Amino acid sequence: MVREVAESCVDSLLTEMVASYCNRFYANKPELAARRIEAIGYQVGHQLSERYTMERPRFSDHLEAIKFICKDFWTELFKKQIDNLKTNHRGTFVLQDNKFPWLERISIDPLTDKVNSAEDATTAENKATSTISMHLYYPCGIIRGALSNLGITCAVTADISNLPACSFVVRVKA
Amino acid sequence: MIVCVAVVGHQNNPLYIQSFTEADDALKLHHIVHCSLDVVDERVNNPKKTGPLLNETFLGLLYPIENFKVYGYLTNTKVKFILVTTDLDVKDADVRNFFRRFHAAYVDAVSNPFHVPGKKITSRTFAERVSTIVKSFGLSSAV
Amino acid sequence: MAPVVPRSGDSIFANLEHVNAELFTLTYGAIVRQLITDLEEVDEVNKQLDQMGYNIGVRLIDEFLAKSNISRCVDFKETAEVIAKVGFKMFLGVTASVINWDADGTSCSIVLEDNPLVDFVELPDNCQGLHYCNILSGVLRGALEMVSMKTEVTWVRDMLRGDDVYELNVKLLKQVPEEYPYKDDE
Repeated sequence: MVREVAESCVDSLLTEMVASYCNRFYANKPELAARRIEAIGYQVGHQLSERYTMERPRFSDHLEAIKFICKDFWTELFKKQIDNLKTNHRGTFVLQDNKFPWLERISIDPLTDKVNSAEDATTAENKATSTISMHLYYPCGIIRGALSNLGITCAVTADISNLPACSFVVRVKA
Repeated sequence: MIVCVAVVGHQNNPLYIQSFTEADDALKLHHIVHCSLDVVDERVNNPKKTGPLLNETFLGLLYPIENFKVYGYLTNTKVKFILVTTDLDVKDADVRNFFRRFHAAYVDAVSNPFHVPGKKITSRTFAERVSTIVKSFGLSSAV
Repeated sequence: MAPVVPRSGDSIFANLEHVNAELFTLTYGAIVRQLITDLEEVDEVNKQLDQMGYNIGVRLIDEFLAKSNISRCVDFKETAEVIAKVGFKMFLGVTASVINWDADGTSCSIVLEDNPLVDFVELPDNCQGLHYCNILSGVLRGALEMVSMKTEVTWVRDMLRGDDVYELNVKLLKQVPEEYPYKDDE
């Protein structure tokens, strides 16, 4: 039987990992915090793709590997598939999750309790957006690590211009 | 009897090699493993067009040499598993079963957070598991 | 009237949303490895893992109380039992036991024979001072503090260091009197 833990274990761990790196270890160096969070994701993605590709034929091209990430890999992590996959057929893939679970569940630290002016509101909004971005370095790292282990060197970024939808943009390096 | 097993990384870097013979032929077995890597590459680059078996991880018998038979397996992450046996009458199902269990042990070994990808596998747990799998080779064909 | 018996950890666990333990296990492992790289000193890693656990415990206690239907434990002894039998099962899917009570009931050990944090883990030689599961002691400390119990939590046995089980000593330092009487109004 597959071992399971409560969903809140993963959620709390991720929230705390991001908070520790952003507020304690690298409070004034968000780029460094981001890089570390991404690195943690990379290691996990690398390990998970080894595990989740067991007993399946090898992929014959990039698209097949990306489709595996969208379907089986995503399902293992989130019990659902990526909702939409687009590609320009020149090495860029856009994986859209219409309701990315980790953004749904992870509590963003309350920043907006005392909003007095429009300026404050904007600051608060920026802060919330940057907190969300920090959380997304982790899944970006997971995707990059998983693909890298499958022989695909790439850069992965997240686009949250349509929340709660989240798009992961994979750019394969030639 | 299995006399040697090996894990080889995607740049043909040895990650784990272990022989299981009383005789002092480790060097010879290592050489056999080394030679088998070319066969794996050849097999993968020129696949037989056998429909659903295309890109299957199990590569089957790579080649017979002297008293040995050499079998190969290539994971999705381009890691090669090599098995050298002295058995003449080997059941395909037994070899497949061996590689399946060997692969599972490998996946757990590289899941150790302190394992560095591409570096040799030094885990004692892995060595013990492999030894158990090797000993039970061919004893039951239960899949 | 008999005290309200909390639902067993098993039934609560069965009703919660689950994820593969692998994701949890590997994420925790990657965090520990990254902390070792970034903080360099093993003692500092132990400290930060404990701090992370504390912060998690402070937040997790609400979910624990809500989902387990436990109103409030009478004393430290009962609390320890509930943590072991219900808490560990509910979140990590494993059962713990409580042993080694001292005479005045302020110190005990929580024992785990199995623990998803350590699946696949083998400590390298240069990390022998690492309390790999230190996040757990922090979680206990943080959660207990939110129910007015100041504790000190220390490792007694650690399977990654060759012991037969995981054993955490929990020592009650101070029980702060109930501070939130208005909570009943909800």
